[in-house]
Amino acid sequence: MMVSLRTKSSFLKLYSWLPILALYISVLNEFDLNYLNLEYFSFNFPFILIFFFTLKDFKHFDYFLVFIAGLFNDTVVGLPLGISSLSYLLICIAAAYIRNITIRPNPVKDWFYFLFIISLINSLNYTVLTLFFSFDLILMSYLVNVFFTFTFYIIFVSIFKYYMRGLND
Amino acid sequence: MAASRDDFIIAIRSAFLKKSTKQKFSLLTLLSISIFVIVLSSLDFRIIKYLKVGINEIVYRSSFIVSIPENLIKNAFIQTSEYTTFFNRYKKNIIELENLKSNYVSNEIIQFENKELKELINDYALSSDKILAKIIVDHDSPFLKSIIINKGSKDKIKIGTNIYDQSYLVGRVIEVNYKTSRVLLLSDLNSNVPVTIAPQNIQAIVTGSGSDYGQIKYIQSGLSDTLVDDSIVYTSGTGAIFKSGVPIGKLQSFSGGSINEYKVEFYSDFTQLKYVFAEVITKTEIIKPEEKIAENNDETNNPLNVKLKILEDELKIIEETNRKFQEENEILKNEINDLNFKVSNLNNQILSQKKTINQFDIDNQELDFLKLNLKHGHKCRRTFLNTDGFIVGTLEYKSCVLSKGANDG
Repeated sequence: MMVSLRTKSSFLKLYSWLPILALYISVLNEFDLNYLNLEYFSFNFPFILIFFFTLKDFKHFDYFLVFIAGLFNDTVVGLPLGISSLSYLLICIAAAYIRNITIRPNPVKDWFYFLFIISLINSLNYTVLTLFFSFDLILMSYLVNVFFTFTFYIIFVSIFKYYMRGLND
Repeated sequence: MAASRDDFIIAIRSAFLKKSTKQKFSLLTLLSISIFVIVLSSLDFRIIKYLKVGINEIVYRSSFIVSIPENLIKNAFIQTSEYTTFFNRYKKNIIELENLKSNYVSNEIIQFENKELKELINDYALSSDKILAKIIVDHDSPFLKSIIINKGSKDKIKIGTNIYDQSYLVGRVIEVNYKTSRVLLLSDLNSNVPVTIAPQNIQAIVTGSGSDYGQIKYIQSGLSDTLVDDSIVYTSGTGAIFKSGVPIGKLQSFSGGSINEYKVEFYSDFTQLKYVFAEVITKTEIIKPEEKIAENNDETNNPLNVKLKILEDELKIIEETNRKFQEENEILKNEINDLNFKVSNLNNQILSQKKTINQFDIDNQELDFLKLNLKHGHKCRRTFLNTDGFIVGTLEYKSCVLSKGANDG
């Protein structure tokens, strides 16, 4: 009985840290289905994850860990250190801000607000990389990335909600 | 109006500064740190460099482990699609293999000649070792096209090291860690390769397109009209960034507006890379014979010593030559004496032979006379009955016998 309780408790612990775990796996793995060879196809899963869980003020979603995840992402992708961290933290700030000003949450409003935020952050990213680090980047890739991230947001949100429900139960 | 502005400020302040019980840092602090890190990473400090190398080593390995499940799915997907076209590709490969075999021999000869000519031009010989490297991270990012290989400074990989897939160029190393390196692929937008287009022999630059092909840039105006499909694109070696003569791809035309434009179809499929070769080059200077002598002379610094040494050497050489001449002289003298002795011997032999021959002739004549004398002697001898004959022993008698008794008297 004691063993069973302990197992249940450790499973619950792991379950509650799942979003952070998913964030780390996604930045290290760069999971974006690119091997399907679809022209320009990509989406930014960390953006969706960070925005949603910051919006929900999820207690295990530590900003410091998000910052570290950003550094990992920069290393894997080959971007200058700190660029992704800045992007992730800006998403956190934007999500925290909308959480503070919202009295009655509306998923559709959040969705479009998310579109606005990721467009802004990707523009900032593009500008910094092009102007300060002399990177040659394809604008179309960024636009397609924003579009698919925005589209997939609603799908992932429903999965995350399901997860949250499981945690509350 | 004022109330709404207050709400905005409160919300912003709350977003930036408020820490919930679980948060260790406020967002403002982390934001400042990340900006600080960006500034530091743009500066080339040694500490930052080492820190970056350390992070890279850990993250690349972690990324490799985390990517295993996705790579399994990816490989399964690729293998399934490969099986569907397996037979057709097999037949095509057989034909290609036959063609390649025939080209292989002449290729070997050309490579050898090429190497010799390069040595003549450059005054140095390049020996290269190709190290097999495994790709540990290959995330086909839509923004940057790069791969991570499991070889680093420990294996003598340097920034700029050329990376190959078989004999085709794949890219070059842009970041080196102790046991890993990042390779910028030719398809990346930031990749620029000086190339030669054959058979037209046109110089150009191939830049990545961010997709699976390259673009021809910086080509001299007017020359683009001479380009044709399937022209071979290989590195020209200009700028010494890439080794010359390495095949990259072939030209393919596509209609870009009113004029025909060309793209470079890479020989290697960058999405299917598992192992690559890193070429570690060692440069050896070729020392000419004159330079060698000069080098030896430089060893003695004092000019007087140098002169003395030269004079001593000269003296030694002269003495040595003299000694050799004397020896040769002696040998020649002996040879002459021998020859003279031989000549005198031979003369003696000739004389004795002459004598023998003369004696032989005389004997022959005597014999002939005696034979004729027996036959015709009675006709020439003076007798009582033959008063016209001659006294035996005289010259007339002899000539009468030799003329067979014809008395000319």
